[in-house]
Amino acid sequence: MDLTLSPAEEEFRDTLRAWIAENHPGREPEGDEASFQFRRDWQRKLNERGWAGLTWPTEYGGAGATQIEQAILFEEFARSRAPQMANVLGLTMGGPTVIAHGTDAQKERFLAPILSAEEMWCQGFSEPESGSDLASLKTRAVLQGDEYVVTGQKVWTTFAHRSKWCMLLARTNQDAPKHRGLTYFLMDMEQPGVEVRPLVQITGEAEFNELFIEDARIPVENVVGGVDNGWRVAITTLMHERAGLAFALQARVQVALSELADELKGTTDPVIRQRFAQIAIEANVLRLLAYRGLTTAMKSGEPGPEGSLGKWMWADINQALTTLAMDVKGPSAQLVDDKWTYRFLRARANSIEGGTTEILKNIVAERVLGLPRG
Amino acid sequence: MNFDLTEDQREIKRTARDFLAARYPPETIRAIALDGRPDPHWDAIVELGWPDVAELGIVELAVVAEELGYSLAPSPLPAHWAAKLLHPELGGRGTVAQSDEGSDGDPETSSTTVSDGALTGVKIAVPNADVADTLIVTAEGGRHFAVAASDVTVEPARALDATRLLFTVRLDGAPGYELSGDFGHAWHAIAVMAAAESVGVAARVTQTTVDYAKERKQFGRAIGSYQAVSHACAQMFLESEGARSVTYWAAWALDHDPDTAYMAANCANAYASDAAVNVARSALQVHGGIGFTWEHDLHLFFKRAEANAHAYGDARWHREQVAAALL
Repeated sequence: MDLTLSPAEEEFRDTLRAWIAENHPGREPEGDEASFQFRRDWQRKLNERGWAGLTWPTEYGGAGATQIEQAILFEEFARSRAPQMANVLGLTMGGPTVIAHGTDAQKERFLAPILSAEEMWCQGFSEPESGSDLASLKTRAVLQGDEYVVTGQKVWTTFAHRSKWCMLLARTNQDAPKHRGLTYFLMDMEQPGVEVRPLVQITGEAEFNELFIEDARIPVENVVGGVDNGWRVAITTLMHERAGLAFALQARVQVALSELADELKGTTDPVIRQRFAQIAIEANVLRLLAYRGLTTAMKSGEPGPEGSLGKWMWADINQALTTLAMDVKGPSAQLVDDKWTYRFLRARANSIEGGTTEILKNIVAERVLGLPRG
Repeated sequence: MNFDLTEDQREIKRTARDFLAARYPPETIRAIALDGRPDPHWDAIVELGWPDVAELGIVELAVVAEELGYSLAPSPLPAHWAAKLLHPELGGRGTVAQSDEGSDGDPETSSTTVSDGALTGVKIAVPNADVADTLIVTAEGGRHFAVAASDVTVEPARALDATRLLFTVRLDGAPGYELSGDFGHAWHAIAVMAAAESVGVAARVTQTTVDYAKERKQFGRAIGSYQAVSHACAQMFLESEGARSVTYWAAWALDHDPDTAYMAANCANAYASDAAVNVARSALQVHGGIGFTWEHDLHLFFKRAEANAHAYGDARWHREQVAAALL
């Protein structure tokens, strides 16, 4: 057991820290458009340094770094309050999926513009009738000549209004069992059959969209990982998303925790002290689960159950943290502030997005503990 | 960065698992717990080298402590460890007398008085005092003394966890040899040993409960196929694994990272204490009526979890230490 960084990892951290100090773009501007440009510039700067696709193989424009170096990057970003990169879904899901399952031609076509944030990506998985039961989705893709014609509706499509490409899961086989009739497509968003409507959420912002698809066209060469094999392709992507995400999320919790600590400094209320300490302790547990997940992933090449545990635990912690922040505000909690109100409301989605806590518990119960399916 | 045990540590774990399973089957544990007989396997444990804390790192101690919890072994080893950690020169067998009668739960304050090197006070819940040659006694002003067992009165107490024999120790002007130094590292290590035992309890109870949920059928189905039960099991797994992660971090930090070690130890004890209690409570619910019987072993684990959570500072106290460091 050794929880220290190797000399090479320490060197990477120091280089990264110094680079961020020199290149930090400052506070993110308000407003959707300004914030998007800001994050895109930041990503381009990182990409010039080879760090946008840190863990991607060097042949595809990445740095070929280890998962630990990726974790170090997340921690240093959080520490320095650096902005997020613009093309987060392309970088964490789309690109890795193409690298793992794509053809050489797809790698040639799609990967570089993801890294440079030239082409933004969104994910078309969930549908109004298919949330947790994702495999029941109804969007249809029918082969006509050398292209698929797609009709259906998607929801919770983050960044859809800015995206060039959509990772689309659609049904290509009506007769197969539900998990075996899906195909993973890369759909061009810039075409008449695709309409994007913003979906306003409880925070008042429209971070997500609805996607109305009618007779949209996708050429056959944009199938990823084989026809009717989309479930397997999507699942590996989701597992990788959760494993890497656990680290990024825990790093953000540490930042929020230190902000809350600043506000609570010196409080003598034992109830508040106990609640704060419990959240701080659980944040440490989350961080350590993420480290253990890295050890598992690096030894076996596959993300372990820690990814599901981490995402579940993170949702609980972030909800508890933002609730505590509201509880100590007194009567001013009735008013919208510029920090905690948004976070408190936004945190409600944490146990729903990217796999509900109930689904994550099912995964742990069935795949880790081997309990029978209900 | 590697969160796995080393090959040597895994070997210790395997040895401990096998040794304890062979020596402490449920019948033996019950005989010791119910008849109040002392642990018969001390000599074999000495042969394994486990009492010698100086030869083992804190991680290695935690590995053995976890297995003690897993097996529910009624061994006086943790009490002896605690004494050796506080007083490395200790000869013979030891235990620690920390909690004063009427204590409010702060392990750092003591009402035991000292006058000309003689100690007076009543210590409760002293583990395995019947087999100790020396007691490490805390007293007013944060002072620590080694006291010969022959100079105090040792009375058996009714322990919630009958697998760990507890005693009331009366000191009436007992001569003490004052220990010097900084006891912080030792106390935090002791808290981590208690956490590691709780991890073992939580892991064992989670495992047996999952097994039961697969076997037990109601309404024609395994109860583990109902989400009300399977999600409870998933929660048990989350807390067990979380407790293990934070406990080994703390053990490692005590050996290698003094800057974070005390904070880590407080986190470990608070989280693991709660985890073991939560897991055992949930296990009782999943087992239904059978788990409430004296005949079933579950209550022994339940009681170990609860009692252990109150030794060497409870979760509330350790949480306050975390709050004090951060706020």
